[in-house]
Amino acid sequence: MANTKEIQNRIRSIKDTMKITNAMYMISSSKLKKAKKDLENTEPYFYTLQVALSRVLRHMPEMEHLYYDSREGIREEDRRRGYIVVTADKGMAGAYNHNVIKIAEKELADHPNSELYVVGQVGRHYFAKRGVPVDIHFQYTAQNPSMHRARVIADKMLEYYEDGDIDEVYIIYTNMKSSVQADAEMIRLLPLEKKDLGNVATGVFQEEIVMEPSPKAILDRIIPNYVTGFIYGALVESFCSEQNSRMMAMDSATNSAKEMLNDLSIKFNRARQAAITQEITEIAGGARALQNRK
Amino acid sequence: MNTFFLRVLSSDKLFFEDRVCQLVLPLEDGEMAVQAHHANMVIATSIGEIRIKTAKGEEIIGVVGEGFVQIVNNRVILIVDSAERPEDIDRVRAKQAKERAEERLRQKESLKEYKQSEASLSRALTRLRVTEKI
Repeated sequence: MANTKEIQNRIRSIKDTMKITNAMYMISSSKLKKAKKDLENTEPYFYTLQVALSRVLRHMPEMEHLYYDSREGIREEDRRRGYIVVTADKGMAGAYNHNVIKIAEKELADHPNSELYVVGQVGRHYFAKRGVPVDIHFQYTAQNPSMHRARVIADKMLEYYEDGDIDEVYIIYTNMKSSVQADAEMIRLLPLEKKDLGNVATGVFQEEIVMEPSPKAILDRIIPNYVTGFIYGALVESFCSEQNSRMMAMDSATNSAKEMLNDLSIKFNRARQAAITQEITEIAGGARALQNRK
Repeated sequence: MNTFFLRVLSSDKLFFEDRVCQLVLPLEDGEMAVQAHHANMVIATSIGEIRIKTAKGEEIIGVVGEGFVQIVNNRVILIVDSAERPEDIDRVRAKQAKERAEERLRQKESLKEYKQSEASLSRALTRLRVTEKI
């Protein structure tokens, strides 16, 4: 059995680690709260935007627009895809990063003609280590997602798309279903799909709407914002999931530290008891030996 | 006076929501006023100043970024990148932004950069102009 000194050392080090995991748990939970609040503030904007977009499209079903062009002329194997991969800046979040990276790797294996745009340190390091080419100018952190960052990312993606550098844009992120369930998902950002926006039944009265200066100008205003909103939503969802899975990981680490402390304190007590018993026996033995000598 | 429902949404908050008498909007080719029972329209708006006359007769001024307005069935929804009250505007910051944008415009830039600088100059100028009045 280990001696008391060793056990005490272990207990101390576990206690220190527990302090860290506990603090990380608290930090994550406060970050989660803040991110959720930010998302709530922007939600009405994007919801209204979506409704407005579907209204505009409803009034011009035959409209052709660059962002709705699926570029059917390009063959399947020649299509260039861009993937925005949202990972965390740090590990210690359970399987969070792994799940996202797994989807990205699968897509990359299926479509070698792809570009990766990675958000977050962990993903960037992972792909750099594996020698997968990643756009090096695409350097964004996953911390505290902001509208501004989402807009910069969206502008970049739209620019690549408009120039024909990439034909399809996808985003791989983690969707927080509930506080216990979060799934990594992939969604196509561009080109947009018309049917997504809901069709009205024929025969329903439709009010006339005048578009100024032109329907195209309106869509030029709405769609970049719509894409920005989508990216922002994905960034926030991912950030929330990251904090959530870190909370869970840290919670279970704290719990197992408590368990270990419990075991160790029993061990420590036993070792102490054994040491005392041994000392007493030795003293008693010594005393008896002295008595016998007289 | 006849009123209509107005809602002004910016990307980070709900700027205004109430019944109003009149709304003046900045468009690319000048200003446009909307009153009750306006024809249904969807219009792109540009960076500038909006003036809202509420049902109680107050006048509210805001500085807005690019966006669009949707006028349907006497309900008006204005969706913009940003919306600020003049009293929330930091004049010093706006002035710095103006100088920065002017500096950038003087240098050679790509078309995209030029557009961006132009937009930020126009934002800064609007902010300065509106705050001058108060």
